[in-house]
Amino acid sequence: MAVAGWRVALCAAVFGAWEWYGQAVDATWFSAPSLIAARLVQWAGDGLAGHVAVTLGEMATGLAVGVPLGTALGLFLGRAPVASVILRPIIFALYSVPLVTLAPLFIFWFGLGMLPKIILVAIVTFFLLFFTTFAGVQTIDRDLVSSFRLMGATDGELFRKLIAPACTAWIISGLRLALPYSLIAATVGEMLLAREGLGYLLMYASQQIDMTGMFAALVVLMIAGVAVGELANLAERRLLRWRTSP
Amino acid sequence: MTSPVIELKNASKDFEQGGRAIPALAPTGLNVANHEFVALVGPSGCGKSTVLNMVAGLFPPSGGQVLYEGELVADLNRRVGYMTQKDTLLPWRTTAANIAAPLELACRAMPRSERDDRVARMIELVGLKGFENHYPGELSGGMRKRAALARMLVYDPDTLLMDEPFGALDAQLKLVMHEELQRIVGDGRKTVLFVTHDLGEAIALADRVVVFTSRPGRVKKVREIELERPRNVYRVRFETAFGDLHEELWNELKDEVRKGTDA
Repeated sequence: MAVAGWRVALCAAVFGAWEWYGQAVDATWFSAPSLIAARLVQWAGDGLAGHVAVTLGEMATGLAVGVPLGTALGLFLGRAPVASVILRPIIFALYSVPLVTLAPLFIFWFGLGMLPKIILVAIVTFFLLFFTTFAGVQTIDRDLVSSFRLMGATDGELFRKLIAPACTAWIISGLRLALPYSLIAATVGEMLLAREGLGYLLMYASQQIDMTGMFAALVVLMIAGVAVGELANLAERRLLRWRTSP
Repeated sequence: MTSPVIELKNASKDFEQGGRAIPALAPTGLNVANHEFVALVGPSGCGKSTVLNMVAGLFPPSGGQVLYEGELVADLNRRVGYMTQKDTLLPWRTTAANIAAPLELACRAMPRSERDDRVARMIELVGLKGFENHYPGELSGGMRKRAALARMLVYDPDTLLMDEPFGALDAQLKLVMHEELQRIVGDGRKTVLFVTHDLGEAIALADRVVVFTSRPGRVKKVREIELERPRNVYRVRFETAFGDLHEELWNELKDEVRKGTDA
């Protein structure tokens, strides 16, 4: 309880000081919590849900493409030493490009709508899942594989009963990374050029030198980020119950 | 005597290392009879695990032949069970589900009820009752070994290949596991090829002890262990015959261990 008390006190102090500065001195550059709250209320009645839906939709669609593809390639190359020796440096070189910098290209190719952002999210999450899954396959004990083969497991059974579940922890940790990155990729894409979405909201406010609007957009992004993180935690606890044992 | 279950005919093995062939096992002959318990002892790196792996068909010999029931081991040998020092339980499965794993494979498809029956019987046999729903992370080292043993025995392989299965256990727990192993597979119900560097363990458990030289390994000495069965694994160590055998085999082994540590 003491911890929570201190936390509340700290937040109250920061927000109080911020509010005081905005009211008594100047709200031009730093806005004020009350102004931001008022803006959020106003937005809520004026299309905020639509922007949130666009960004979340881009994230969800991109994840739905990137995560399974990255996982599948990681599992496949993890079990194919020759192919992985050939392909890995190429994949690594591609990954070395800061991926969000691909956004301008995709906007040229795929226009202003959701598609370029979806592709950006898909590519970012594809690589994250590929690398974590690939690493997961490498950690599987060779004795364990041998003992399963000697039990009579076919390739398919080996995969279903050993390789895939053994990689679950790695895939989950890849997913934990991919969720926040999908938010980054979607908003960066929207900030560059878009007509809707949270990144657009932020960029639009910035073009108007509207500090209150920028802070309001950042608050929504923070809430989205926390929600996404909690979702990842929940998924992890559900899928990795065996790891929570003492 | 009937024909041996396991037969090595001048089997040797080289391993590639940096483009050079390093001999791990010199041409070796070895016969293991049906329902015999044979222990292989020798310094680390003497190729005793290599013998097991070749019998399991995990890799072929570089020279000579490895036969199982008179046939060349050309592929994975699925009539053997395999247990290593490393813990090869699946951490995401409970004890019962781990033991059930071999029974879930298509090659021995069976009704669910029969599978549950066999798993339950095996859990009883290895003394894990009450721990069916625990994950390996919640079990002690000894319990994990019991679970691994149960998983190997549940599908009833003819031959057990055990590679220092109790190597990671403390001395007391090791004795407990020896008693369990003897109770479960003793009295000639299984053929066992058991690799260890613990000479006492080898003598206490085996019908025959094979001493290997240091790398590249070859058979230095084969000794019948005439100690009466069933043996009391706690007391057998204090018998004169045990001491004599230990003395005799240790004299064979000690130079090899010394050579092994010098190398």
